[in-house]
Amino acid sequence: MVLLHGLGCSARTWRHLVHELDDELDCVALDLPGHGEESGSDALTVAQMVETVLEQVAELLRVRRPRAWVLAGHSMGGKVATLVAAAAEAGRPGLTPPAALVLVASSPLGVEPMEESKRAQMIGWRADGELSEQDAAEFVDANTADALPADDRAEAVADVRRVSRTAWLAWLERGSLEDWSGTGPVRTSTLVVAGGADGDLGADAQRRLVLPAVAATEVVEVPGAAHLGMLEQPAALAELVRDHLHWTLPPPDLPPGLAALLASDRVSARTRRVLLRRLAPPRPHEQVLSDAQRATLVAVVARVLPQRATDVDLADRIEADLAAGVGDGWRFADLPDDVAAWRAGLDTLAGRPGGFAELDDDAQDAVLADVVAGQVGSANAGHLSTEQMTLWFEDVRAAVVRTWVSHPAAMARIGYDGFANGGDGARKQGYLRVGAGEREPWQTLPLEVLA
Amino acid sequence: MRLDEMRTHATSEVVDAVVIGTGAGGAPILARLAAAGLSVVALEAGSNSEPGDHTADELEAADIYWMDDRLSAGEMPEVFGSNNSGRGVGGAMLHWGAFCPRPDARDLALRSTTGAGVDWPLAHAELVPYLAEVERFLSVSGPATYPWDDTRSYALPPVARNAPAQAMARGCEAVGLTATDAPVGLVTRDVHQEHWGLRQACVNCGSCHQGCRNGSKASMDATYLPLAVAWGAEIRPDSMVTGMERDEHGRITAVVYRRDGVEHRQRCRAVFLCGGGVETPRLLLNLGLANSSGQVGRNYMAHVATQVWGRFEDEMRMNRGYPSSLITEDLLRPDGADFAGGYLVQSLGVQPVTLATSLARGGELWGDRLVDLLEDYTHLAGIGINGECLPHESNRLVLTDEVDAHGLRRARVDFGRGDNEDAIDAHAEATMREVWEAAGARDVFTIPRSAHTLGTCRMGPDADSAVVDADCRAFDVDNLWICDSSVFPSSLAANPALTIMALALRTADRFLAGTPRP
Ligand SMILES: Cc1cc2nc3c(=O)[nH]c(=O)nc-3n(C[C@H](O)[C@H](O)[C@H](O)COP(=O)(O)OP(=O)(O)OC[C@H]3O[C@@H](n4cnc5c(N)ncnc54)[C@H](O)[C@@H]3O)c2cc1C
Ligand code: SF4
Repeated sequence: MVLLHGLGCSARTWRHLVHELDDELDCVALDLPGHGEESGSDALTVAQMVETVLEQVAELLRVRRPRAWVLAGHSMGGKVATLVAAAAEAGRPGLTPPAALVLVASSPLGVEPMEESKRAQMIGWRADGELSEQDAAEFVDANTADALPADDRAEAVADVRRVSRTAWLAWLERGSLEDWSGTGPVRTSTLVVAGGADGDLGADAQRRLVLPAVAATEVVEVPGAAHLGMLEQPAALAELVRDHLHWTLPPPDLPPGLAALLASDRVSARTRRVLLRRLAPPRPHEQVLSDAQRATLVAVVARVLPQRATDVDLADRIEADLAAGVGDGWRFADLPDDVAAWRAGLDTLAGRPGGFAELDDDAQDAVLADVVAGQVGSANAGHLSTEQMTLWFEDVRAAVVRTWVSHPAAMARIGYDGFANGGDGARKQGYLRVGAGEREPWQTLPLEVLA
Repeated sequence: MRLDEMRTHATSEVVDAVVIGTGAGGAPILARLAAAGLSVVALEAGSNSEPGDHTADELEAADIYWMDDRLSAGEMPEVFGSNNSGRGVGGAMLHWGAFCPRPDARDLALRSTTGAGVDWPLAHAELVPYLAEVERFLSVSGPATYPWDDTRSYALPPVARNAPAQAMARGCEAVGLTATDAPVGLVTRDVHQEHWGLRQACVNCGSCHQGCRNGSKASMDATYLPLAVAWGAEIRPDSMVTGMERDEHGRITAVVYRRDGVEHRQRCRAVFLCGGGVETPRLLLNLGLANSSGQVGRNYMAHVATQVWGRFEDEMRMNRGYPSSLITEDLLRPDGADFAGGYLVQSLGVQPVTLATSLARGGELWGDRLVDLLEDYTHLAGIGINGECLPHESNRLVLTDEVDAHGLRRARVDFGRGDNEDAIDAHAEATMREVWEAAGARDVFTIPRSAHTLGTCRMGPDADSAVVDADCRAFDVDNLWICDSSVFPSSLAANPALTIMALALRTADRFLAGTPRP
């Protein structure tokens, strides 16, 4: 994860957040030109900052070879990060697009909303070169909801004062006013965070000015934070990042051919997001089944769909869908609602003489064939009748195949590449070759690695 | 579609008409009434979207289906959700398959020609100009000459034949059936759609059922609805109709709906109910409206939609290309048939989740046999039919005691097949197996299926036997018109959307002409 700070901050502004995340992520916070250790740099225009970061990231990718990388930007660094992501998506040699973008109280690609008097005041602070301790402290305090702990505050004040005068003015007089909104929208899955108590760059501005430029549908507000969320609420921010990455980072075992196809511009941002989310294990969910029911479910699922080359946790996903109330728009009138039907169906199987989970494969298959034939059922309370069992087992089959086939690993296995039939460009790619026995060069599924 | 600059109306304004639902029935009516200068408001339960918002992912595409539970019963319980429903600005036309045959004249006169089923109370010839108008407006693509109707021609060239279509062409030829490129509701060339913009030529992506992302397909939100808005109609998305207010004469004075959890009432002079074959009767039954005949919910029909599948030596990759690019109408009245009516055959490209679900449900498959087939996905291809379904009293929609989030009672649909459907099914299965084997398919197997939700508010000659008259006007309520798949008195073999749209234009014209009740 590469982190880009905002105006008046530096790489170390991120340190609490990095501390929260460094078990899971290899974090690299950069000093932007004119800031922190780079206060001597004169690459101060937006375009130059973007170029500098692109070079640094390309170098990092070359040396560290991560399986994916993520970009985070705060305030001014958010504008830079969005442009870096756009450039990476546009296809820069040596650079894969980031797997996710995290924007914290980001400046928009367009003109940053800022009261002229405030802009004038901030420019005025550097009229005679040095920034006074008092002005820097005012800047820091104005950007936090509650006063920061003394150490953090002192460091933040020092960072503001470290910014070179030319960098400070370059952003306030030029960079923040440059309208880059013609670039994008960025397709990388984006987390947009706003401080609940932020002013000009709060949730409303994020919604109006930042959302349209990125692949995100909502702005997440962090309570108890103003503009410096990473210092004010690092734990909450880390949780949001973790949550977002859970859905967007490709899992480590994703075959490279599939990863490349998913990342390609043949896949729309929405479809990519959905498939990557589906690749991740289901999020923790309410346990709607008992341990015994779950054991029966695992056994049934394995017989309905004996997986050969994939290892999708079907039973867990089915339970997650049940817990979330994901239905398919109808149900058999003769069955109770989904959760009740599944519980009762599993109990009926387990309660039959001889049980179910403890049988061997052939015996289980025989029981399921009997279910189809209307020969398994019970009149006990909380169980299903023979007719109901037949219907319920039809629902089971449908849920199992749906869960398996919709998983990208299964798609790769069966050679389905229809998810890559059109990206977000003005013209969708579709298929040029549709006849029997014809393939387009990019059609490499099914992957041999999975076979 | 863009709704930001549309004309808006106050709910207190008495608008000329409220149209409920924006699918194949509602959209053309809305456009016609607006173009005639009427003030019209459409209330649509689903959301508004842009073509680019759709996703090729089959599960994620559930956002354009009606996913609120319906209860299915009977010998052949109906599969709803992604199989048989739609919700959104554009209705089920957001994800229709765009297969666009015309109804056959003989099918509208089934009773008088075969003694079975019922006749439509209007002549086929009356529909023809409307069918042609819809085809023209939607820029339907198809063959230059149509083997079963020499009066017909299509403006745009046919859509590319994909692998299943090639196989079907081969198989039909071998067994002596005529097959040709299907009439399809999509553009095969870039076309500028008035009041909407550029409908890009179909790119053969194969995702019609998940929503067309480039406006190629004749979705209502790229055709009739922008036309309606350009003429001053207002479309209110996310607005679920839950009630109607009536005066002492029984006329509807306002339509009650919920938007964002708040109840509103739109005052109006007339109402067009176009919620589709399930929601229309469900609403009427919930409100106890227009049902003196006792026919609301009765005669639910679903086309016989049997599919035959097989494995081919070549890679088929049937998800590629427009899904049903070949048709034969040779079996509309097969020689020596022991049933009334007939069926159309089409080639099938089916996305994997849909296929797998059919295999698991109708195909009753599981275990190794299921996995063998799924792993052969790139080699599978199918053909399927759309066949006549006669109206049966016992096939009906009723209300259950369960209520939905709006307090409306949920629908239960009982469906089963009669002898005529079984006979069509058997005939079709035999024919398709023959075609498929001749085409080179191996491991041929059949999946029983049905499709479309029809009937339930039948059109007919009198108030005792029908809900609406031949103008689609409710017998019981003076200012209520119903126009969607629910008014079909018989199913017709043709897939329904084109007929619904034509009927919608005719209904609007009859309303505008102020035709007195026959
Ligand atoms: C997957 C699929 C593929 C199909 N393929 C084809 C094909 O290839 N060829 C063909 O001819 N036909 C096809 N059809 C059928 C065709 O789409 C339908 O017959 C047609 O859309 C029905 O039109 P309608 O006006 O009756 O209802 P719909 O198009 O379903 O429109 C009804 C609308 O009313 C709204 N609504 C319902 N109740 C309320 C309420 N209470 N308040 C507000 N709004 C409400 C719904 O949200 C919906 O948007 C297909 C259907 C499906 C589901
Ligand atoms: S196949 Fe053609 S009409 Fe169908 S969704 Fe794709 S582009 Fe649209």
